Amino acid sequence: MRVIAKLDVKPPHVVKPVHFEGLRKMGRPDELARKYYAQGVDEIFYMDIVASLYQRGILFEQIEATAQEFFVPFAVGGGIRTIDDMTRLFHIGADKVVINTHALQHDASLIDRAARLFGAQSVVVSVEAKRWQGYWECYSDCGRERSGRDVLEWVQEAQERGAGELLIQSVDQDGRQAGFDIDLIGEVKQRAQVPVVAASGAGSVEHIVEMAKAARPDAVAVASLLHYDLCDVAAIKTRLAAELNQDAGQVA
Amino acid sequence: MAQQVGLIDFGSVGNVESVRRALIAAGAEVKLIRTADEFDGVSHYVLPGVGSFHEVMEGIRANGLEEPIRQAAQSRPTLGICLGMQMLASLGFEFGETAGFDLIDGEVRLMRCKAPVPHIGFNRIEPIKESPLFAGIDPEAEFYFMHSYEFVNYTDVCALSSHGGHRFVSAVSKGDLYGVQFHPEKSREHGIRLLKNFIEL
Repeated sequence: MRVIAKLDVKPPHVVKPVHFEGLRKMGRPDELARKYYAQGVDEIFYMDIVASLYQRGILFEQIEATAQEFFVPFAVGGGIRTIDDMTRLFHIGADKVVINTHALQHDASLIDRAARLFGAQSVVVSVEAKRWQGYWECYSDCGRERSGRDVLEWVQEAQERGAGELLIQSVDQDGRQAGFDIDLIGEVKQRAQVPVVAASGAGSVEHIVEMAKAARPDAVAVASLLHYDLCDVAAIKTRLAAELNQDAGQVA
Repeated sequence: MAQQVGLIDFGSVGNVESVRRALIAAGAEVKLIRTADEFDGVSHYVLPGVGSFHEVMEGIRANGLEEPIRQAAQSRPTLGICLGMQMLASLGFEFGETAGFDLIDGEVRLMRCKAPVPHIGFNRIEPIKESPLFAGIDPEAEFYFMHSYEFVNYTDVCALSSHGGHRFVSAVSKGDLYGVQFHPEKSREHGIRLLKNFIEL
């Protein structure tokens, strides 16, 4: 299973959101990217968590400064509204783009257009899921805006439109370090034809193992656990490989 | 002496910058090639690849780059990466049927297997013929893949990989023309080594 370092950025800092609200500064994105690369991370996700909320443009300079001196995939999200935004991101060092707010709240065809131009494998759709009685609702703008959309229906639509990967975040669990919303990840995984990246809630390696065994996502995205040096990437990978009884390197 | 590698930047798509940085890390000087008159004066060519077959081939044709790229690939050692490899084929089936450069016989078709597609992540490769590209690379080394389509070829296979129980072509070679389905520029030190092997050809 891939282990992804997720950098939630409120420029110029990587921050740790608590329930997508309170923020603590964790370091600079370029430094943390290089640190996790050295630890053996499989991918780096850079998420500008306030771009959509503040309704401002993408801060390309800082992204470009981050995309240096590491040679694993670099996915960038936050505030992407147009194909031009994506083209520019690829030209400064991104390998994938991550879309949520604009596609969910304004124009879902952004997914189709992106997949058609860049190929599905480069288009990640991010979901911020809020748990209600018996279902989950899609949120946006860093967990602040409701959409009225059912998560399981939306991920189906996103895949049909060409999403090549699904990043599943939980508004309830994010930043709490109290474990994943395992039901959410499992339900999405069961319906997904494309790879699923599980995020939000890892406070220990045990949380990751428990979720991975139950929900079997294709990748896990980790933030706080790494930012607080509670463990390093290599330790997570070794433990997952042993627990999931698979070859450390084999793609599931 | 550093080799000068011509990195073909075919318009609006492609993770060109990632490839450029990795080539520099491998010891190359990189010249970006955007127009038909910029092809001269380099020792190697790289055709990078993030995009969809139809859109990118159409873009290349619209910009008058099809023939220059075809000629370049036959004149100097050339490496196609991911879509850049797939476009070497005769025909692609991503968003309709589109002719490729037709430099290596074969078709590019949607992967069908028991695991999720796109195939995304690090995976091993199994060289099935001797190739200078893999010189000095640990057989256990893993390379990063991100693709939904695969190159179906029976004549120029250089390496295979496996996804969800399905074996597919992960590298092709024909003379000085090479193609890899994975992304060496995103494959840590093994990828840089492969690029170094390529620029030393």
